[in-house]
Amino acid sequence: MLKDFQTFGRDLFLAGLNSSHSGNLSVRCGDRIFITRRGAMLGHLEERDIIETGLDKNDSNIILASTEIRVHRAIYKGTAALAIVHAHPVHATALSLLDDEIIPLDSEGAYLLHKIPVLGVEYTIGSQELEEKLPALLKEYKIVMVRGHGSFATGQLLEEAYQWTSSLENICRIIFITRALKGELKDKRPAEYIEW
Amino acid sequence: MGFYGWFGKTLRVNLSTGVISEESIDPKVLADWIGGRGLGAWTVAGEVPAGCDPLGEKNKLVFATGPLTGAGVPGAGRFSASGKSPLTGTILDSNAGGRWGIRLKQSGYDLLVIEGVSAVPVYLTIADGKAALHEAGEIWGADVRETNDMLKDKLGKYISIACIGPAGENLVKFASVMNDGYRALGRGGLGAVMGVKNLKAIAVQGSQKVEVANAEKLNFMVYEAGKWLKANPITSQGLPEFGTPVLINLFNELGVLPTRNFQGSQFPDATDISGEAIAGTMTVGRKGCYGCPVQCTRLIKTKNGNIVGPEYESIWALGPECGIGDLETIVEANRLCNRLGLDTVSTGVTIGCAMELKEKDILETGPVFGDSAGLLLAIRQIAYREGDGNLLAEGSRCLAEKCGAGQYAMQVKGLELTAYDPRGLQGMGLGFATSNRGGCHLRAYMAGPEALGVPKMVDRFGTGGKAGLVITQQNISAAIDSLIACRFVNLAVSEEYFARILSAVTGVEYQTQDLHRIGERIWNLERLYNLQAGLDCSFDTLPSRLLEEPVRNGPSGGRVVELKPMLDEYYRFRGWNESGVPTPGKLRELGLEELKC
Repeated sequence: MLKDFQTFGRDLFLAGLNSSHSGNLSVRCGDRIFITRRGAMLGHLEERDIIETGLDKNDSNIILASTEIRVHRAIYKGTAALAIVHAHPVHATALSLLDDEIIPLDSEGAYLLHKIPVLGVEYTIGSQELEEKLPALLKEYKIVMVRGHGSFATGQLLEEAYQWTSSLENICRIIFITRALKGELKDKRPAEYIEW
Repeated sequence: MGFYGWFGKTLRVNLSTGVISEESIDPKVLADWIGGRGLGAWTVAGEVPAGCDPLGEKNKLVFATGPLTGAGVPGAGRFSASGKSPLTGTILDSNAGGRWGIRLKQSGYDLLVIEGVSAVPVYLTIADGKAALHEAGEIWGADVRETNDMLKDKLGKYISIACIGPAGENLVKFASVMNDGYRALGRGGLGAVMGVKNLKAIAVQGSQKVEVANAEKLNFMVYEAGKWLKANPITSQGLPEFGTPVLINLFNELGVLPTRNFQGSQFPDATDISGEAIAGTMTVGRKGCYGCPVQCTRLIKTKNGNIVGPEYESIWALGPECGIGDLETIVEANRLCNRLGLDTVSTGVTIGCAMELKEKDILETGPVFGDSAGLLLAIRQIAYREGDGNLLAEGSRCLAEKCGAGQYAMQVKGLELTAYDPRGLQGMGLGFATSNRGGCHLRAYMAGPEALGVPKMVDRFGTGGKAGLVITQQNISAAIDSLIACRFVNLAVSEEYFARILSAVTGVEYQTQDLHRIGERIWNLERLYNLQAGLDCSFDTLPSRLLEEPVRNGPSGGRVVELKPMLDEYYRFRGWNESGVPTPGKLRELGLEELKC
């Protein structure tokens, strides 16, 4: 498990999907959660950076766990997820400040994610509001953007949640570039598919 | 001039003459020393001769609030008391939460200076600028709870009381001052200073409003700080649910939970006495300081009714340190200490020392490790100075030295060490050794970076760079203790926020670096006082066990504290000479040039 955390933590950092100390990863094993330590550098994870705590119940390790632990718990309890990646992808975060939903323009993005909702809340970090609202969205979507904050992606494995995160940022880069080019979009997808 | 945050007033009570007077405080003094520990150190250094007998007439008790006290800032309902410690001979301050500090502030005072010795036992009442001394005949001899009950019956239930128990009356060197029933100015024996002055209690009540310079800015900063408190699992989940005992399992797993007088660093029964165990079997509610959202105090159910549960340090001192893993015994020992007015840490560590001396046949009588009944008996004997308790009441250093076995006293400068084995937390070792009040973890909470990742995680076994970190922690802690803000809040809210909050409250512009500089000034003043009191660099050390006996096993196995290289660096980084004396240049830089070593 440590190797997975190290691999995807490092890749998230190297891909620019997280800054030096941002983001967090977790996996659910039955009634236990393994989550990155509060303030850990995802690009340099060590054994001490993976914190085990309860899915429902707190224990002493709670004081080491990521600030987003309450959100991760709520997602696990409200969805079928077994792994979560929370990242701060730059283009997606910027786009979330402008749009209420992110609709991929590229075919792979559309194929994989179709649409990414943007959730706006008052407290964006480790908040009760996120705890309450994110799970419902993540039942419907693989990844959700929290406005001005970052993405929460779920999967059966860390790799899966990492893939959605990576795809989201790719989608947003393409949107940025096409908007910058200011040309007419020659989209071949049927309108109802875009609205799906 | 008008004050924001401060009232600019001292209440001075001379117990020898009975004269009670009010004085103004120079605004520059307030701006430079802020309040709490800083203002207390400034007052003690100016008024209490460093060479005086701490239990003589010349020692004073200085109670101080801070500009944030009563200003509606979360975690800032604290006050401090300062003086010369009878246990260590150092300058000392101790701070506590509860209501008492706010009531004193609302009475219109930043400082309360108690001097002289009363001919008969008395208590002091302060209510909105009116202070009076009253004979304490009927409450002298009462324990802390009885004293609270009797005074509240007489003065009304909304009054807030700081008092001593029998331990303070009997001049136990580590007697505490207890406020609001269960809060403690625990460390260093200020209860004995109060006892020798024949002052049983101080009851305060107030209704004056603390004026704030920029309420809008303050509200915004409090809102921002609230977000951090809510988001951080330490302050939003760990402390509210488990209180400080959340640390028991954590530190046991790291191999830094000292056991049996620091002979070991892991306790086999830790799970049975942990925060989780208390929460699962005893906790019935929680409470906290006035206006604090963290609410880290837990109410627990016992055969004596619902009482406030023990903190991490108390559980450790009265449990693993004495080889005791029975939670009910620990809870009862903690209750006894609180009612008798004893510092739980020094009580437990001194008894732990006696247990090892008995184990090694150096002492003929007394409790042995794991002896629950013996622990409870020893606590009573200490408080009343009965039997062996009379020697234990002098503290572990005196006890061990009298037995010709000083190496078994787990203390620094006479103050018993706390619940962190520094062999597994090297920076904590340096922090203990250089602490101005002796073996205290709070002067530089290096467990933050070395174990909890606050502000960032560092290698706990490494020594390189630790001196710089310890200095930073010591300086900022001195400043935070002067505001006065809670250290737990500081785990989630950085000093940058406190600088802004302080500016909003007082109208005096403070930057983060100003807090560091003020903290450094306080630290150097305390150091100068200690040097004048005869505590030179030879006191900046640790018990030989921690320097020479490696931890036998566990995650910290094979380690000792590598103090020397860290200490050399520490003196150099502090701008002190190799003997640990602040250089004239450093004193000039801090505006302390008029003080001499």
